[in-house]
Parts: sequence; structure tokens; C-alpha cells
Amino acid sequence: MNRLLALGGVLAAAVLVLAAGAALAEPLAPLPALKAPNPDQAELGRWLFFETKLSGDAAISCATCHDPRKGWGDGKPLSTGYPGSEYFRNSQTLLNAAHYRRNYWDGRMSGRDMATLVRDHFTEAHFMQADGRLQAERLKQVPEYDERFRKAMGGEPSFGRILNALVAFVGTVTSRNAPIDRYLRGEAGALTPAAQEGMRLFQGKAGCIQCHDGALLSDQKFHVLGLPENPQVFQGPLRHISFRRFMKTLGAPNYDNLREDIGLAAVTKEPQDRGKFRTPSLREVSRTAPYMHNGSLATLGDVVDFYNRGGGAHPNKSSLLRPLGLSDGETKALVAFLEHLAGDPVVVEAPTPPDYKLRTLGKN
Amino acid sequence: MRQPRRAIVITLVLGLALGAGLLVGTVTAQSGKPLALGPLPPVPVPRDNPMSSEKVELGRMLFFDPRLSGDASTSCASCHDPQKGWGDGGDVSRGYPGTQHWRNSQTVLNAAHYTKLFWAGEVTSLEGQAVAAATGNVAGNGDPMMMEERLRQIPEYVRRFKAVFGTERPLIGDAWKAIATFERTVVSKAENVPFDRHVKGDARALSDDARRGLALFSAKAGCIQCHSGPLLSDESYHSLGVPKSPVFEEDPLRQITLRYQHVSRGVPEPVYRTADRDLGLYYTTKRDEDRGKFRTPTLRELKYTAPYMHNGVFFTLEEVIDFYDQGGGNEPGKSPLLKPLKLTVQEKKDLLVFLLSLSSDQPITVPAPRLPDYAVLK
Repeated sequence: MNRLLALGGVLAAAVLVLAAGAALAEPLAPLPALKAPNPDQAELGRWLFFETKLSGDAAISCATCHDPRKGWGDGKPLSTGYPGSEYFRNSQTLLNAAHYRRNYWDGRMSGRDMATLVRDHFTEAHFMQADGRLQAERLKQVPEYDERFRKAMGGEPSFGRILNALVAFVGTVTSRNAPIDRYLRGEAGALTPAAQEGMRLFQGKAGCIQCHDGALLSDQKFHVLGLPENPQVFQGPLRHISFRRFMKTLGAPNYDNLREDIGLAAVTKEPQDRGKFRTPSLREVSRTAPYMHNGSLATLGDVVDFYNRGGGAHPNKSSLLRPLGLSDGETKALVAFLEHLAGDPVVVEAPTPPDYKLRTLGKN
Repeated sequence: MRQPRRAIVITLVLGLALGAGLLVGTVTAQSGKPLALGPLPPVPVPRDNPMSSEKVELGRMLFFDPRLSGDASTSCASCHDPQKGWGDGGDVSRGYPGTQHWRNSQTVLNAAHYTKLFWAGEVTSLEGQAVAAATGNVAGNGDPMMMEERLRQIPEYVRRFKAVFGTERPLIGDAWKAIATFERTVVSKAENVPFDRHVKGDARALSDDARRGLALFSAKAGCIQCHSGPLLSDESYHSLGVPKSPVFEEDPLRQITLRYQHVSRGVPEPVYRTADRDLGLYYTTKRDEDRGKFRTPTLRELKYTAPYMHNGVFFTLEEVIDFYDQGGGNEPGKSPLLKPLKLTVQEKKDLLVFLLSLSSDQPITVPAPRLPDYAVLK
């Protein structure tokens, strides 16, 4: 009996905390530093990142959809992907990608195994449609790469070493010197008064921190927002093709008739996960428009308006979403805060890809 | 039972046409298969993929459709162009964008009669060839499920697949069946082939030169030891010592593909480290004695299918004849069937005239179809 009472007390407390909104959330915090990658490996990874020889028809590189000049995404609502196809979700920024526990919008890849995440991008038919053995032989045909691999990776180019070099590089693509972090470390002037007001709203009235919490400003969990479908997914034959193939490869039921992106449910096959997507980090968000898994919101103002309305309509919509009653001034303050989440631009120059050279036949 | 009887009949016909005894002494191939030359039999059709005109037409469309490749750039016809003898006209094939292939693109003409396809007999059916080529990383580089969903997005294909295969949506395996069915129509017709007309009794079908060439083919030159039967192929594997193709010394993309093939076929590492040529049947068996062996190709329609050999190293039939006249190349493991032939200039000419009589009077072509479009699905 006592235990039941105690349990009831805990539950009641939890309800109170939920009602308070942000109380369960992790406090905002400066982004911790990742273990620094081996600089030689990261430098090799930079070359490979821009290398079109790593895609099936040698037409696209990682940077095609994760362009440093476009916030490390591609700037489009929906990404393009491999020639002859078009993708059905937004290309996410690589900024801070190494901090996630789960990757992709539907979280189907573990953040603990970034090499497999890179591998998936290379081999997926809608991304780079490449064979790792052919990639390795292509790089072996470039003396500069052969030398760099031996120096940085301890041996000649191989599929595994290609993946590991890119993992090292992606580990360097992180926020630096963000105003929010300086502010959290005590530099009061790092946020403008409007941004400070926005930060209060973020943690209070607007309730953003319920999901966008902690150092990454993401709970790394999955929520249904009721975002309207992007009509281009099903009105664009090439996108619909990629969508159907993808759903089929995951074994999603009824994939042929789906006319909505079911998100996490394609991974888990659980009906309650229909329409759930992993909360993205808000760091660098002012550089990564357009927004949401289907790129359907063009500006941060549009995003705040969407939440101010209480999100969209969906049977599984999160109970955390309800109309916020933000004034225009409050909306502007919130946007100002969001704009202070970007650090110094992470600028990486695209190297000029080295050419294939003839090798001595029979000395492989 | 049927094949031997046919062989006997054709042998008799040949004997009557050429004069008694011409073929005697030439039956020396190891396989013991019927060796007699003659018109092709009806195309063999697998029981699980019967012919129909609707399937042929669907297969023709798919044969020309570049959406059956990775980046929607490369159709079967890209490397098997009806205007280029159903090959691609190059010595070594062009391959998928970003790559260069490593072997000569073989003609589709009469491929329906092979029981072993690709230069080293890697597959045993046209259906198997189609999927291997469409998905191979240096050929079509297509993903089967992506290609299937592309077909699903094309209402005319959905209708045609349903009419032909009875399925509610196209299945990629049925695409290969349709393409194979189309290819079974890309065959020589005896009435158009001078040599076949000759065998059927048309006394004017072959010139005197060609008749002398046939006699050489069957005896002194010994071609028939391997180029036997209606297909003019024993479908066995032989090492000829064909000269190495210069492309592997000159083109980095060809070097990449050569090494890639060694890796993907799983050869022992020392073989990969020293790879400098196409090892043919060895990739399948990993037996040293199979190095450099390739499956004998048909000689039919060769007027239209230059250049020749697995690496396209000979651009003319004269070069091919000279090669055999010298007894082939000089690689270890070369077939003992190859010996210097000591052909005279006139004999070489006669042999060439005969070889040309194995081709149709006019090239066999098929017009490219109009391809149906993608549509928005409700």
C-alpha cells in the first residue's frame, strides 16, 4: 500500500513536471568537444568528401548534397541524390552530425558507428550507388591518394579505410565559438537582449526545450508534429520512385499505397511511430534552411509560426504541441535566439581532385 | 535423340553439296558433340519463359530503356546497338559512365542459341545475362529494386507487364524475361544467309571461292575443330594466346576495371597483385589450367560484328585469319589444337569469303521504340 502511494506520488509529480513544460528537459549547455580525429585522416577525408570518383557514375560527391557553402546541406527542400533519381527527404546538415546517437531523419542508423553511416550513403541506390571495391580500385589509380592512404591510414586505399577517413573528417565539422555557448559560459553580451528574451521563451512559454534540449538542442527522440506532407514527394515521379523503393527495402507494410512519409514506423513497424521523426539539433539552424524532414518550411519564421499554431494535424501528434499564443514580438525574439545558435562558419575549401594516372600493368 | 539425327541429315546434305569425303577427317574436337554445319534449329525457349508477341514487344521497349540502369543513362542498346551489329563497335566496350569496360561487347545476334553467355560462359541463359549486365558495376550499375519501382511509375509498362505476366505491378525478374524473349527473335534466318541457302540446296548460294573456303574451314585450316555445329561454336573453352589489348596499358579507367574484376571475382591475392590481363575462365574455376580460356563465339553474322576476340584486338577478319595461320599466340596453356596452318594468300582469301557467307545479306536491325513516360500515381 505504501509503495502504491509512493508510486502515485511519483506519477503526480511527473504530471506536474510535464505541465511545467521544460522541467524534464536537460538544461541548455555548451557543446562538448569531441575526441579530436587524427589530423592526417581528417585531411584525407576532406579530399574524399569532394571526390566524385566515389559515386557509381563518378558524377557526385558527398559535397553535392552536403555543401559547406550551403550549411553543409544542399539548400533545397528535398535532396536530389543519385543521377536518374530524386530523393524524398531534406538533406540534413553535417554540422555536428558526429554528436547524434541516431542518424537520418528516421534515426535508422546508430551514431556510434559512423563508418556504417558513411557506407550506407555510398552504397544506397538513391544516394551514390557505388561499389566499395570499385571505389578502392579507382583511388588506387591516383598516386596522391595511394600516398595519403599509406601515410594516414597505414595502407593502400580500401573501402574500410575510405569510410574511416571520412568519419575522421565529419568529426571536424562541428560548431565553434557559438554565441549561445559563450553566453552559457558567462559572457552576458554574447546574446542580444532580443535573443535573451527569445531564450527565455524557448525555455518557458514556447516550450521548445521540451524536445530541443541539452548541449545539442535535441532530445534525440522521435515526435510527431503533424507537418503537412510535401506534395513534391508524390507529385514528382522520381521522388515517389525513391520513396517506394526505400520503404520496400525497409520492409514497410503497404509501401505501394503509402502517400505519407511514415518516418520511424518504417523502421520499427509500430503503428504508434507513424509520422515520427528524430528531433534535429538546432545548432547552426540559421544556416540550414529550408527546414523539417521534408523541407516544407522555408524560414525560421515559418517554423516558429508552425509551432505557434500548435503544430499540424495528425492522429499521432505529440501532446507536447499546443497553440502557444506568442505575440509578433515574441516570435521575433525567438527567431533572434535561434540565430545565435550558429558558431563561426565552418569553411572548408574544396580541393582540386587529383587525376587518374597510368600504373605499371601487373604491379598492383 | 533429335540432335544426332539432325546432325546426320545435315552431314549428308553437306556431303552431297560438297562432294563426298570432304568432312572426313575433320571430326577431331574433344567434346564429341555434333560438328556438322548447317542452318540454326528453332530457337530454344525455356519452359518457364514462353514466347509471345506481346512479350517480345515489351522486351524490345525494355532493351532500349535507359531507366534499367543505375543513373538512367545506359540501356542494353547502349552497348548492344542494332546499328553496330548489336555490339558497341569498340574494341573493348565503353561500359557504365565513370568506368570503362574490360571486354569486347558481344553481339546479341544469335545469342539465343548459346547455353553459355559472356566471354567466359559466366551465365547460362539470356535471362541471367540481362540481370548480370544491368546490375554489374561496370555495365549497367542498376539496383534491382530501384529499377522495379521505376517500371512501376510508368503506366504503360504496368499495363503491358500485367497483360504479359499477369502481375498487378511490374516485377524486375519479369523485365529480364521480356528482354530475353525479345533477344530470342534477334536471330539469323536461313533464307537470308548464303551458307544456309547453300546447305539447303541452293547451288548458286556460294561462289567457288566460298566453297573452297568451306573446304579449308573444315579441313586444312581446322576452324571446325571449335567452330562447329549450326552455331559454329563448340561452346567449349579454349586458350588462343590472343595478343594483349593495348587499352590496359593506355587507359587508367581500363586498369581500374581490370583490377576490380580480379577483386570482385575473388582471386587469390597474389593473382590480384600481378593482374595484367583477362584470365577468362579462371575467374570462375580458379584453376590455373583455365587461365586465358574463353568460350568459342559463333561465327554467324561476323560481317557486322567487328572488332573481334574477347578484347577486340583484331579489327578485321584478315587479322583474325593471319593470327590462326601463325598457330595463334604464344601463351603457356595455349590450346594444342592451334598449329601453324601454312595457308597461301589465295587460301586466306577463300576462307574470308566463306566466313562472310555466314552472315545475313542485310544487317539484322530493329527500330528503337518510343519509350513511355513516368506519370504521377494516384
